[in-house]
Parts: sequence; C-alpha cells; structure tokens
Amino acid sequence: MADPVLGIRGYGLDYRTPAGAVAALRDIDLAVGAGEVVGLVGESGSGKTSLGLAIMRYLAPNAVETGGSIRLDGADLTGLPPQAIRRIRGRRIGMVFQDPSTSLNPTLTLGEQVVEVLVEHRGLTGAAAASEAEALLGKVGLREPAAMMRRYPHEASGGEKQRVVIAAAFACQPQLVIFDEPTTALDVVTARQILDLFAALQAETGTASLYISHDLAVVSRIAARVAVMHRGRIVEQGPTREVFAQPQHAYTRRLLEAVPRPDRRQSTVEPRAEEPLLELQRLTVSYGRVSLLDSLLRRNRRVTGARDVSLAVRPGEILGIVGESGSGKSTLARALTGLAAFSGSIRLRDRLVTAPRDMGRAYRRDVQIVFQNPDSSLNPRHRIGQILARPLKLFGAGNQGHLGARIAALLEEVQLPADYARRFPHQLSGGEKQRVAIARALAPAPSLLICDEITSSLDVSVQAAVVELLLRLQSRSGASTLFITHDINLVRQIAHRIAVMFRGELVELIGSDELAARGPRHPYTAELIGAVPTVLV
Amino acid sequence: MRLLRTPQGLIGAIIVALVVVMVIFGPWIAPYSPEGLAPLNRYKPPNALYWLGTDQYGRDILSRLLHGARATVVLAVIATSAATLMGALIGTTSAFLGGRIDEAIMRTIDAVMSVPTLLMALLIVSALGKSGTNAVLAIAIAGTPGMARITRSVALAVRQQDYVNAALARGETAAFVVLREMLPNVVAPIVIEWTIRIAFAVMVFATLSFLGLGAQPPAPEWGLMVSEARKFMHLSLWMILWPSLAIAFVAIGFNLLGDGLRDALNPRT
Repeated sequence: MADPVLGIRGYGLDYRTPAGAVAALRDIDLAVGAGEVVGLVGESGSGKTSLGLAIMRYLAPNAVETGGSIRLDGADLTGLPPQAIRRIRGRRIGMVFQDPSTSLNPTLTLGEQVVEVLVEHRGLTGAAAASEAEALLGKVGLREPAAMMRRYPHEASGGEKQRVVIAAAFACQPQLVIFDEPTTALDVVTARQILDLFAALQAETGTASLYISHDLAVVSRIAARVAVMHRGRIVEQGPTREVFAQPQHAYTRRLLEAVPRPDRRQSTVEPRAEEPLLELQRLTVSYGRVSLLDSLLRRNRRVTGARDVSLAVRPGEILGIVGESGSGKSTLARALTGLAAFSGSIRLRDRLVTAPRDMGRAYRRDVQIVFQNPDSSLNPRHRIGQILARPLKLFGAGNQGHLGARIAALLEEVQLPADYARRFPHQLSGGEKQRVAIARALAPAPSLLICDEITSSLDVSVQAAVVELLLRLQSRSGASTLFITHDINLVRQIAHRIAVMFRGELVELIGSDELAARGPRHPYTAELIGAVPTVLV
Repeated sequence: MRLLRTPQGLIGAIIVALVVVMVIFGPWIAPYSPEGLAPLNRYKPPNALYWLGTDQYGRDILSRLLHGARATVVLAVIATSAATLMGALIGTTSAFLGGRIDEAIMRTIDAVMSVPTLLMALLIVSALGKSGTNAVLAIAIAGTPGMARITRSVALAVRQQDYVNAALARGETAAFVVLREMLPNVVAPIVIEWTIRIAFAVMVFATLSFLGLGAQPPAPEWGLMVSEARKFMHLSLWMILWPSLAIAFVAIGFNLLGDGLRDALNPRT
C-alpha cells in the first residue's frame, strides 16, 4: 500500500498551564490517503482543532509534544526547522479556517490575498499571478472574478469570502487540505453551496482532505472515512457508513443519538384545544433612531426587523420559529418581552398590549425568556442562588416554604445539585448554565416560555439533554413554548407547529405532521429543508 | 486573602499599609516637632541626630514627613474616592439610558473636561475660599468627568450582555439594573483608575499648596515641602529628595494595590 498522504502515529500533545500539564491529544493514529476525504468529528474540547493546528505546525507557545510522528508523504514534520515548515505550509498543505471574516486581512483586497499565495509558493509575478488568481476565483464559483479581485473582504458576503479562502488554499495544488469547520459561521443555504463546491473541487483535483467538524450530518455526507474524537483520543475510526450505522464505542452511540432527526418525533403532550393563549396582530418592529437630520430631510433610515407578523399560539403548544440570521425571529422574542419597541398588538389571554410600557407585572410574570448564550445571560458577579432568588422574590408566586428550599427545589427540577446555589456561573459548564437559565425562566410559573436559540451555542450531546429537559418541564407545567432556532431538523422533531421566517416576514405556518406528510407549501421552506443535511446511514 | 496572593497585590498592600501606619501614628513616632526651628542646624544632610536631614529652618525632615502624611494622603484619597463614586454613577447611568440622554450627559462631561484640571481646581478654590475641604471638592469635581468616560465605555459593553436584557424582561426598575446588575461588572477598571488618580490628586494638592491655595506654610504637607525646597536645591538636595520619594512611594503603592485588587475582585481568577 502506498504511503498515505498524511500519516499520524502515536501523536500526543500537552498544554502547559499554571495548573499543570493538560493533555490535549493522546495516542492519535490517523491516516489520510490520496484523494480521500476523512472526517474528524468531536465536540468542543475534544482536541480536533488542536490536531488540525498541530498538523500545520501552528503550535501554541505553551504546547509540548509528547511523542509520535506526523508524516506528510513519508517525511516527519515534527522534526523540521521553521524554514522548511514555511515552505510546506500553503504549498503542500492548505488550511481553510472556520470564520472567513477573521481569516482574511481586512486591509488587503481579495485579489491581493490570493496573489500572495501564488507569489510566495509558485514564484509567479505580476500579470501572470493576477490572471492565475482570477482563474482560481472563477473555479470556486464566484461570478465576476475580475470585479471580486478588487473588492475588500467587508464588501463580500460570508459565502463569497469562504470561497476566496478555499481558492487560496487550493492555489498551489496542495497534497492535503485541512478544513476546520468551514461552514459553521455561514447560514444554512450558503453552507450547502460551500459543501457542494467542496465536493466538486474534491472530485476534480483529487486532493486528500481532512474535514474537521462537530456536525455529524455533514460529515456523513462527504467523508469516506470518519474518526470520532473525545477528550483528546480517537475513540472510533472507520468507513463512515459502518461507523454511523453500527457504532461500536459508547460515545459514538451517544453522539449519534443526540443528532436531531426529523423522522424521530419526540412525543409531547398535545396542545389543549382552548382559546389561543397568545395572539400577535400585525406586529412590526423597526430598529434605528430617527435623528434630527433624517427627520428634516424626510429620510427613512430605519431597518425593519419584523414586518406584519400575525400568529396565534394555543395553551400547551410548542411553536417552532425557524429562519436564518436576520430573518426576524429573535426580533419577535425581543418585542414580546418588551426589549424592542413595536407597532401592532399582542394579546395575552384577555390583556391587550400595544407598547412595551403597557406590559405590567402580570404580563412579565406570564412571559419568560431564555437567551441563547448562557455565558452572557447569567450575571457573572451573582451566585446561582441569587440569580434564582430574584424572580421568586419579584413575582412572589405564592409563599410556600422559604427561599432556600424553593431554590433547592428549582435546581432539582433541572437536575442540578442543590449546592450549586453557592457557585458562580463561571464554575458551571455551558449546559449547566443553560439549565440554570431555564430554571430562572420557569421559577414564576409562566404561561408562555420563549426559548431564543437556547441550544445554538451548545454541543450536540448537551443540546439533546437540554431539549429533553425542556420538553419534560414543559409538559409538566403546561406552558406554551416559542422555540426559536435556525435548526429545522430540531424543530421538526419537537414542535407541534412550525413558523418559517424570511427577511422579517412570516412565510409559512404549518403543522409538523402536515409538513412530514405533504411537504412544505412555500418555496423558501423547501429550500431550507433541502439545504440542511441529515445523517446518512 | 486573595489580594495577597499576587506579587503586586502583596507589595502594594504592604506599602499602603505602611502609609496608613504613617497616617495614623505619624505624629507619635516623629522624633521632633514639625515646627521646631533650629537655625544652627540648617541644610544638614542625613546624620545620627536628624535621620533624613534638616530643611531651611533646621526642622527635621523625617518628622515633617510623618506629620504631613495625614495632610497629603488622606485628603487625596477622599477627593479621588468622591470623584470615583460620582463618575461611576454618572457613567453607568448614561450607558444604561442610551440614546439622546446619553449624548447630552456626555457632551456636558466633555465640556467640564475641557477645562484643565488645575484651572478647574483654581476656579473652585478661588470662588469658594481657601481651605482643605474646598480643595477636596475642587479635585473631586475635576476628576469626575474622566471617571465617567471610562465607566461609560465599560458599561456600554456590559449593557449589551443578555443578563441586563433578562433583568429588563423581568420588568426591573432602572435603578436596580444600574446598581445591582451593571455596576458590579464595571468595578474592575474603576478600581485601577482610582489608584492611578490618587497619585495625581497628591500632585494637584501639592500644586495648590505651592500656589498658596491649599495647605499654607508652615504646614508639613509633602507637596508644599517639595515646592519650598526648590529654592534651596543648591544648598541641600535632601530637602527635595525625601518628600518627592515619599510621594512616589505612595503613588507606586496605590498603583500596585490597584493591580492586585483588580485580580482579587474578579471572581474568575
């Protein structure tokens, strides 16, 4: 068998921290053959990014290699001096990073950044380099490559920038390209286009690729072989179909269980057939201040976040709101909680609210919200007990038992130990913090719970646990839930009805059963469903 | 204590503790009276009798330093603390309110800041009369705008955080959000700025004293000692050296303490 393009044997990496050496990678055995796509999956903290950077020899100052070898075409990279590494990087190994807005230099034009690679490694100059760069931009599917050469990164969209980065990575026809979560920072439809581009380039150039991702669905569709990483070790490796159809390791099984699959509906209590709990009538939210100059010149500079949204939510119903970033779904959440000014009306039971200042204490108790990022939704200076005590004190909600006991009861409901009340948020993990945020929202027993992308910043396995907890609490309390997310697979799994938003407007409102049976009505919904991969087994 | 775990915190705490000892016990430890004239012993360098030497009237410099610690340090700390408190409240509230009110407050702050500190202090002292209290007030008012600006920029970042939004969604009052949610998170840069400004305050007091608007001779205020000693540098370097070193010592001590406090106040480290 020919030497694999990339052969890693017994590789280990430690990070020296003030608290001692932290083992980031241990006993890594991985091989990528010519023309092969190998997927590397793992959650945050598994070491997959460290491995990608170690292959490129971007070692942190406190990184210590504990042995093993990384061979590129037989030659060991770990022993090479810096000049030799510089000659290899970009020329024989290319890398595509996660966030295109930070991997491109904002002060250089896109053309200059591709030319840079060509000048450095292929020795082209002047007109030859420029025309080659333009040809590359055309090959990655950019329309009008000549115009794109002259643009700056901030004048290009996320998808276009990522294509430029891919062009630069492929410019020198490298033997190996490492992709580190290249589509995570892009919206779903653009991500699909990048994946298609990847498949096309792969087929055309036959470059060996290492695709690092936390998204099992994506990896299942593009990688021939997959390696699963957990806490710095590769726990399972093999052909993708086999690993995903019959996972051997317990961790792989857990990971696959946690991926949202629209065909696996999680049973929830059916909504009660009563009067609608919440009715939105032509809700419109606009952002931006009208300055004096604007009003004098009669210029309308306001951006519309949501336009004429009307919908009704029944008691006990889970309504999923799906859309891309900028679609207006979070804007709805902000309007409902009085964080953004709106026009139109909100009717909660028999109370009509036409402006945030109409929202009285009763309304505030009835409508509670859980935010996306648990790191910023809990005050880092307050202890958990303090955070949970506040809504209890504010909204009373009866006076059964004294505060300490009620806080302990809340923590138990979200499956956290009672002594967490004395801790600070930074001492909890992301999933635990999100549970505290859910406990805080459910403390005053609301009738409407708004979940604004509560799982987006969590790992897949943690996400599944949080969603399961949420569903259990929701069915017990009977609260209606507005579940806002960009993950349509997740929403099809748990919601009774689905609302699809696009550019501030509500384009579709459909029951999930009907969606599964008869398919979407609006073309955008069809596009969204088509763009999001599900795990292929 | 967490403060004493870092080297800066430890050294800063030691120096400030020494300064506090000087402030409280200074007059008892001093070997001579600060006003004891001894014309036959003028301009003496440090010797067995006078540990730090004598000044132009033969007064013992060490005793004057020990007595002067009170005048210098205590007033500087009070003035800076008042400026910090006012500035922090104004800055945080302005960041919370946002919009036109924020603009209005900030432009007013800019206007006050455009007057040089010393000039502002002079104006206030001339208007209100020469006394320690008025000097403190003057420095407090002059220092508030700088504090307000720093606090506001930190508070603006804090305002964007979701825990502030969560509090607003609960219907909390503005006072609660500013005092209980935002201020605790704005504390760290304020503390560091406070310690830096104490050093400035000491020097502004010295200048005021030099101009005759703060402490009056024969008060042993350190800044006054420095300005008086300028005339006699050619006769005795020690007269200007010791009070200058004392002021520098206090400034360094407070700066190091500030660094240590910043780390100690951060629940993450």
